[in-house]
Amino acid sequence: MKPEDLKTTQTNTWCPGCPNFGILNSAKEALVELVNEGKLSAKDTALVAGIGCHGKIYDYLNLNGFNGLHGRVLPVCFGAKLGNPELTVVGFGGDGDTFDEGVSHFVHACRYNSDITMMVHVNQVFALTTGQANAITEKGFIDGSTPLGQGEKPINSVLLALEMGATFVARGYALQAPHLKEIMKKAITHKGFSYIDILQPCIVYHKHSVPYLSKNAYKLDETHDIGNFGQAIEKAREWEYSYEKDTKVPIGVFYEIERPTFESQWPQLKQPWHTIDRKPNWDNITREFK
Amino acid sequence: MGSAVTSHFIGKIFTEWGYYVFNYRDYPSLIRGGHNFNILKISDKPVYSHELKYDFILALDQKTVDVHKKDLRKGGIIFGAKETEPIVQKLQGPKILANNVLIGLLFKYFGVDLNILFAAAEKTFGKNADMVKKSIQEGYQLGSEKEKLKKLTAKCFISGTEGMGIGAIAAGMDIYLAYPMTPATPLLHFLAKRQLENNILVFQPENEIAAINAALGASFTGAKTMIGTSGGGFALMTEAFSLAGMAELPLVVYSSQRGAPSTGLATHTAQGDLKFAINAGHGEFPRIVLTPGDAQEAITRTQEAFYLASKYRIPVILLSDKHLAESDYTFDEIKKSPLGADRFILEDPPEDYKSYKITVNGVSPAAVPGQGPIVRANSYEHDEYGLTIEDAATTIKMQDKRFKKVAYLKKEINKLNPISVYGKGSNLLVSHGSTKGAILDALPQLKNFRFLQVSYLEPFPAEAVAKEIKKSKKVILVENSATGALADVIKEKTGIEIKNKILKYDGRPFTPDLLIYEIHSNLRGFRKSTHS
Repeated sequence: MKPEDLKTTQTNTWCPGCPNFGILNSAKEALVELVNEGKLSAKDTALVAGIGCHGKIYDYLNLNGFNGLHGRVLPVCFGAKLGNPELTVVGFGGDGDTFDEGVSHFVHACRYNSDITMMVHVNQVFALTTGQANAITEKGFIDGSTPLGQGEKPINSVLLALEMGATFVARGYALQAPHLKEIMKKAITHKGFSYIDILQPCIVYHKHSVPYLSKNAYKLDETHDIGNFGQAIEKAREWEYSYEKDTKVPIGVFYEIERPTFESQWPQLKQPWHTIDRKPNWDNITREFK
Repeated sequence: MGSAVTSHFIGKIFTEWGYYVFNYRDYPSLIRGGHNFNILKISDKPVYSHELKYDFILALDQKTVDVHKKDLRKGGIIFGAKETEPIVQKLQGPKILANNVLIGLLFKYFGVDLNILFAAAEKTFGKNADMVKKSIQEGYQLGSEKEKLKKLTAKCFISGTEGMGIGAIAAGMDIYLAYPMTPATPLLHFLAKRQLENNILVFQPENEIAAINAALGASFTGAKTMIGTSGGGFALMTEAFSLAGMAELPLVVYSSQRGAPSTGLATHTAQGDLKFAINAGHGEFPRIVLTPGDAQEAITRTQEAFYLASKYRIPVILLSDKHLAESDYTFDEIKKSPLGADRFILEDPPEDYKSYKITVNGVSPAAVPGQGPIVRANSYEHDEYGLTIEDAATTIKMQDKRFKKVAYLKKEINKLNPISVYGKGSNLLVSHGSTKGAILDALPQLKNFRFLQVSYLEPFPAEAVAKEIKKSKKVILVENSATGALADVIKEKTGIEIKNKILKYDGRPFTPDLLIYEIHSNLRGFRKSTHS
């Protein structure tokens, strides 16, 4: 399989130069490599996307796909897994999508530890609706809806994922595609809920993050112990999604542990439901009423 | 045993003895205590409703006597604290044992053998039945036999909720998702308890929005899925309900109405969500709304809901209410619909599969991820492959495709008795859903009245309804609501206006006596009468 095999006929409408292309290419390469390594079956993979610039990835990846509602990527991923536990389910969300509209689902997805991968395109704005602040936008940001400046401090999404119990937590940078690809491969093969916070600076409505991240992003190296929760929290707190002063921005895998997946705890979730030929036994199901 | 368990216990014994029982449950929204009561109507002829006059009052506390004594018939009997307290003290058990003493007293009165009561107690409580049996026995010994109840052919005793549950299992449901909300929660409990033996999955996600979106994810991957809630929860689900319409994913929504607007009367009944159900969701898309009238119909209508949802790839609302969900009904036997548990999923989808293929009847044959070809579901307007589009021509084509289903659906629904007519006469009562019971029980006492029950509210069986109305002299709408929404729907769909309405919006269901009184008042010239 080649990355071109995952191309669709759709015209790409992201802005020229948008870091989303980096995410798309990394995703294609990660999926193709996993398929070629025998670790993934493309026909048994489904992607779920939300609404926002990120959501267009549904139209650009030639895979089974569900383009749902704004904020609801995670419940659809979860449901897809309930419907067919044999599928590999990959969710793509925006940061507004995931941490404004859908934040309750995120918290619970970390808890459930269903075997799904969630990649969030963190551009710190609602870009498709012309650049309003979202839950990850830094304090002081000025836009059409916050002309007086964003007053609140952003959610640290990596920290939230760790605190809520995600069993794989990583951060990637869309402009460092080969590194991002490796993270994606690890996330998809991880058993349980995998979260990737993908820094995807919006080159129209959040331009200042490109030079900042290019200067400050650094890769976590071997000295970082991914099994150490305390270290992961420390790394997550290094950068609070702020641009006030230069602060190092760690990227890479912060944390990975094993915990029983949601699916493994339900005896009913052994095979895809659609393969079960049901013949309900009327006498059995009505006996108690006679 | 509390009031609910005690009344079910009593009802079950009477139905096993071949009698018809209707068990109405009335309780406030609190956990323990409050004034919590059931009304049982027991007869050797079919009954579908309760009355507000009693032959017996079985009272756990003095409040029950104080509240209900005025409604005791002449010669009626009260069993209460006077009888139960000494026994409870003697047994040194909890106060609630009094209900078992009452059971003993009641069945002694009817000459039912004590062993029958013991067997029933063991069936209900298993190993924990000892104290229950002892207290029943004490009551039994205290009582005296006044009648010798004849044993007839055993009957089936079933609530609306249980009907919905076995209908879902019989229809081949795989997954039920629900966030707790009265009066839909009993179905969550019923199915959860039976999930392993029936190999179904029952899960309570973080909220209603998660429930419906997860249900659509599961439907996309090939599971037959149902969600359950009441009006407030369904309000939260409506964005995704519209997604079900756009993505053409089969989904059954069980919505059990309660007093509203807003949080309303959490544990009381209403039919105020009819227009909400037929209009829920933004944009225009076909859906099915059906309203079962009793527990038997709950079974067959739920089967129909799954069948039609899968066959037509369309969302279906099964509109119930507290009165139907939490009342127990008796039938000689319970029957299933002949419709099977088909999945309507292609066995071998073609390589160039189109998720939204335009077909003669608008229904694209379904495939699911994992079969091979690429399967898509899209909330944006899309082409036949499910890829996003914005152009005008495709938009029209796809909207037309989705609505093409309606004509075929209507034909199919016409075979499923979308309306039922009961009784003979030139006047007509028109209603839907749980009012059926009180109306059926009132009908023999009303001269010259038929009853038209509308079971499919969308697509609306306009021709059949218009035909019945046109051949009637006087037409009266009966609805557990403040405005009589069905009259508006009938006017919209048939052009016929029903001016006479008997409405009840106090959170309590109709009873036959009240209906007869209201209908007679109505005949004397009152245009519209309401109750509080």
